[in-house]
Amino acid sequence: MASVQKYFDSFHGKIRLGLFDEEDTLRDKRRIVREKLLANLPDVFKKHNEKNLVPTFRDQGSYAMRTGTRPLDGDFDIDQGVYFETSTTDYPDPVVLKERVYEALNGHTKRVEIRRPCVTVFYKDGYHVDLAIYSCAAANADKKDYLAMGKVGSEEKYRVWQESDPTTLTTKLFERFDGDETGRKQYRRAIRFMKRWKDVNFVSNGHSAPRGIGLTINANSYFQPRYNTTTFVLDDLTALHELSKEMLSAFTSTWVSTEWKFVRWLSAKLLVTPFNDVYEKMTSKQMESFETKLTELRDTLKKAIDEVDTRKACQLLRNVFGDDFEVPDESETARATPAPVSTHSQSA
Amino acid sequence: MSLPMTNETATTEPLVFCQPDGRRIKLTASVVAQLLRYAQHQLTDKEAGGVLIGRYLCDSDDIVVDQVTEPMPGDKRGRYFFHRAQKAHQHAIEQAWQASQGTRTYLGEWHTHPEANPTPSGVDTGDWRRKLQQDQYFERLFFVIVGTQEVRVWCGSRKQAKLISLQSHPVES
Repeated sequence: MASVQKYFDSFHGKIRLGLFDEEDTLRDKRRIVREKLLANLPDVFKKHNEKNLVPTFRDQGSYAMRTGTRPLDGDFDIDQGVYFETSTTDYPDPVVLKERVYEALNGHTKRVEIRRPCVTVFYKDGYHVDLAIYSCAAANADKKDYLAMGKVGSEEKYRVWQESDPTTLTTKLFERFDGDETGRKQYRRAIRFMKRWKDVNFVSNGHSAPRGIGLTINANSYFQPRYNTTTFVLDDLTALHELSKEMLSAFTSTWVSTEWKFVRWLSAKLLVTPFNDVYEKMTSKQMESFETKLTELRDTLKKAIDEVDTRKACQLLRNVFGDDFEVPDESETARATPAPVSTHSQSA
Repeated sequence: MSLPMTNETATTEPLVFCQPDGRRIKLTASVVAQLLRYAQHQLTDKEAGGVLIGRYLCDSDDIVVDQVTEPMPGDKRGRYFFHRAQKAHQHAIEQAWQASQGTRTYLGEWHTHPEANPTPSGVDTGDWRRKLQQDQYFERLFFVIVGTQEVRVWCGSRKQAKLISLQSHPVES
């Protein structure tokens, strides 16, 4: 196998969110949004003659999991859980609580929107903060957290308190590697590589692309660490090849009632309630393209494993992972040797 | 029976051989195509030969042969012999070495045989052993013989005078 680990390392350095100013900016925006909420909510609740609720905050999503990747389109986001100590019966319509949040933030930037799972604050430089609004466990009789779902004007059946536990999800997604820090590190890398692969190879509108959380759940099911147990040097190429192979073999023929036919399907079931398949909104066509692209990925990774020439292997990898995967100069991948001399020769 | 022309050019694949220590040596597709053009299919085809030029890769220590010289003025070619002069081929080696900051170097020799599955003659192995002692090279030298149906590779080094035949590297499925 060509030694491409070095190039996976620099690729990972380029795509991970964490080493760049962007992450500071995200942290700043998150802080400002929190402060705005704490400052403005009392007046909002007062205006509506409601009991003042002081929210607490919890990071969630890829930011909390530390699996964030730099977006290709410059659209940076951060997920923020906003927990109110109020029961779902105090606010039977979850959208009302979202409207309070919206009101507290409206005007803070040009655009604040209530979306189905969150309230989003958009900044003009391409950043946005997604606020997931919760009724927290302490206030509910069943001691469970509920996420406010629904938009203004949506039908009642779409305005629901959905049991949701992102903190436990994060714990569950990473507990597999308790005691194997190197494995956990490589697992995070593999998730980032798969997410960048997704960003490069799928269009981002609708459900064309498998969701990042889906790829994370798939990695949780199918990723196996591959590293040298003496030197702890990672072998990301082999690990990714095996991951893509395992994911492909997990595709099964599944009955899709909405389309009234069997389709090849890979599921990514949430490890916490509501235990749904996070790919459920994809159409059979989108799923088919997922399988096709994953097959291309697997085959390219195999070719890179078989390729002797490091530069050629990197070219193959760039084809699937995009331009942030560096292709080194030939001279950089070969050893410098002393001046050669070849005498005459004879053969018969 | 020779393959149709279109097929021959379109299907040239690189060749990979495995050394006893697991390190691989790859002849690139263009090198293989170049060598196959000299295969002695016709009774009138003469032996040909040249030197192998390429790279020792960092970390893996695998080797890539990405350039070969072809018969040049001063070389002598017969049906059953090939005498290669030093000058023009050495010049090509030096050019490659200098242009690459020393990362492309002399890796060995190739020549053709008018037989399907080639084996080295006594003259061949004698000359290979001499070169292993007299030439200046990095670690190892490789010797390629292009038969009419098969390309085979041997290798040796200053310390390892016994020439080893390399296995063609199977591509795992």
